[in-house]
Amino acid sequence: MTDKLNDILSNSNKNIDNQQLMDYLRNQLNNADKYEVEKTMNDDPFINDAVEGLQKFDVKKDMQTYVTQLHDDLQKQLAKKKKRKDKHRLKEQPWVYLAIVIILLLLILCFIILQKYI
Amino acid sequence: MNTEKFKHIDDNQLLHYFYTDKNNEWLGILLQRYTLLLLGVCMKYLKNEEEAKDAVQQVFLKVIAELHKYKVDYFKSWLYMVAKNYCLMELRNKGQYFAEIDDRLMAAKDETENADTFVEKDSAYANMEAALQQLNKEQRECVTLFYLQKKSYQEITAITGYSLLQVKSHIQNGKRNLKIMLQHLQKND
Repeated sequence: MTDKLNDILSNSNKNIDNQQLMDYLRNQLNNADKYEVEKTMNDDPFINDAVEGLQKFDVKKDMQTYVTQLHDDLQKQLAKKKKRKDKHRLKEQPWVYLAIVIILLLLILCFIILQKYI
Repeated sequence: MNTEKFKHIDDNQLLHYFYTDKNNEWLGILLQRYTLLLLGVCMKYLKNEEEAKDAVQQVFLKVIAELHKYKVDYFKSWLYMVAKNYCLMELRNKGQYFAEIDDRLMAAKDETENADTFVEKDSAYANMEAALQQLNKEQRECVTLFYLQKKSYQEITAITGYSLLQVKSHIQNGKRNLKIMLQHLQKND
């Protein structure tokens, strides 16, 4: 009894995986698993708000399409940002690249001289 | 990106990697974990599928632009606050929301930790049963069925005849009232 009473105030801080959440929304969980999701919802306003919002979607399969599109867009954004960052880095340190080119040229020059005189 | 292979790495570790090398790939993995939840939160507030999707994109951009500026300890709580504030701001711009929006992004903290610390105090348990009896009938009934008998919302609606919304509200209000009562009782101890 004490353990169960403790449950009221202890927060699970548990993460629900997306599949479990989708199964809950499609009403495909048994009572015990359903309870676990609802207990987490009660402890976590983020999950509670999310479930309330996801229940408003007309067709549940569209949600997965949205998620996939959002992941693709996110990857594009991150790739764009990485490209910009790399470009910026190149602009910030032109001397480093110039030095590399000069060293390479010197090495080639040394090689040619050595070939000629040895 | 295949995020499955990073499944064993928890949020804190990913956040630590991000702060260490500032590589946005870590951030991408973290954000993808929460896309579905973010979509749900934005849908709850904006009530429109396309607007919700756009809002999630904006939240992603905001996180990419801002996370490196702060030392965030609890990514999930912080992300929830960013998303919620963004949606409330959108509603305010449309004239549908007037309350003040808390934009102190740094203030995000893990609420569960506080609750756990609170629960660890032994005296809380001793007073729990007494506090439970002080709840009103509806709250006591729903809290008991949910937490002590582990019934799902649907089962509770069938047993009590309350609507799903009423059940959720009785459980949440009951839990909040219990905490308040226990805090008072602990102060008096």
